[in-house]
Amino acid sequence: MKPPKFRYVAPRTLDDAVAHLASDLDAKVLSGGQSLMPLLAMRLAAPSVLVDLQHVPGLGNIEDEGTSLLIGARVTHREIERSAVIAERLPILSSAVVHIAHPQIRSRGTLGGSTAHADPSGEWPTILLALGATMHAVSPRGRRTIEADEFFVGPFTSTLAEDEILTHVSVPATRTAWSFQEAAVKKGDYGLALVAATGIPRDGVLLDPRVAVGAAVGSVRRLAEVERLLAEVPMTDVTADEAAVAAAASIDPISDIHGNSEYRRKLVASLVRRAVRELRNGA
Amino acid sequence: MSITPEERLDVSMTINGRRYRATVEARRTLADFIREDAQLPGTKLGCEHGVCGACTVLLDDLPARSCLTLAVQAEGRHIRTVESLADGHELNPLQRAFREQHGLQCGFCTAGFLMTATALLEENASPSREDIVETVAGSLCRCTGYQTIVSAIEQAVAEGQIDTKGDDQ
Repeated sequence: MKPPKFRYVAPRTLDDAVAHLASDLDAKVLSGGQSLMPLLAMRLAAPSVLVDLQHVPGLGNIEDEGTSLLIGARVTHREIERSAVIAERLPILSSAVVHIAHPQIRSRGTLGGSTAHADPSGEWPTILLALGATMHAVSPRGRRTIEADEFFVGPFTSTLAEDEILTHVSVPATRTAWSFQEAAVKKGDYGLALVAATGIPRDGVLLDPRVAVGAAVGSVRRLAEVERLLAEVPMTDVTADEAAVAAAASIDPISDIHGNSEYRRKLVASLVRRAVRELRNGA
Repeated sequence: MSITPEERLDVSMTINGRRYRATVEARRTLADFIREDAQLPGTKLGCEHGVCGACTVLLDDLPARSCLTLAVQAEGRHIRTVESLADGHELNPLQRAFREQHGLQCGFCTAGFLMTATALLEENASPSREDIVETVAGSLCRCTGYQTIVSAIEQAVAEGQIDTKGDDQ
């Protein structure tokens, strides 16, 4: 047994979960536990109380709301992988989910947990940023929504308050041009670089393109220079090459044992090129 | 708040069709509950932080790393471990295939591979080699080089007689 001591509670209502989280400064939310449990095992986290969301009703559904899907925070990666409505309305999620670790992890890990954890190597933060998703959170002060652009602010850092619980993610289903690209040493490993690109195709051009990069740059961020190149111009291979060059020039990648900064810069450029080509094919 | 957070809790769950009950620390992992409270040592603990896959069990029929799950999270649930596979000394077809294909050497990772493969085969009776490779990629084996493990699972698929969920009464 490796985790430090903590107290545990599994409330039956969202109100109780909020109250428990707010009652102790060092209380933390437990969802699937696939990121938190390793942190506990390595004693990188020492919460006083874990508030397990598993019995809180209403967090496990996927609802089609027309122009967007409202996905409960406790929906697992596996449920996303097997969801017919997601495959039809948000195929980028179905395409990306198989990159998330392995079946044993995907059966437990959740969309909300991964999003709140804000790991720059996590697939969901990069994708939710590229889709312009909206996070729904609740705290003793009430409910509020946070746009993805305002949510991910640094490595493992979101703008969720300490006493806030992420309950749902609202994901627009209107961005029908999309691509997700990941480079990892082997499938299921943490990615060395992730790129997600989306847009609204209309009459051969791409409206409101959003391109996000993860893993390679230490935090999740958009590539504004690439988005500018893609916006409302006919999409050709030249655009893809230009986008790759612009991406490489606009990032300052991290270096670690898995890949140095220059290598990751090239990876991001390649992934952006592929993503833009795929966007064009879908447009 | 009708319930208060506790450092020790009563937990009960069904493992391989049998009910187990204990009072455990909140921090006790499902793996430790299985090995120490339920006295079922077939499930192995390698890294204890979710990397090696040795501790994989089936939690309500889905593969899960028992080191990344707290015992209290498994309250009321159904667990299956490697002990559920054989009938006495009679190996099940998947276990037999592992033996015949030399899908194990030291055996430490084997329980995890067997339960991972069991979950795969219960969901998909005819997985491709690629499906199998992808599934077992979540487990580490330092002896075999994996090819024989993949071959063993392929053999079990070809024989097509995987027992499913037969143990849970």
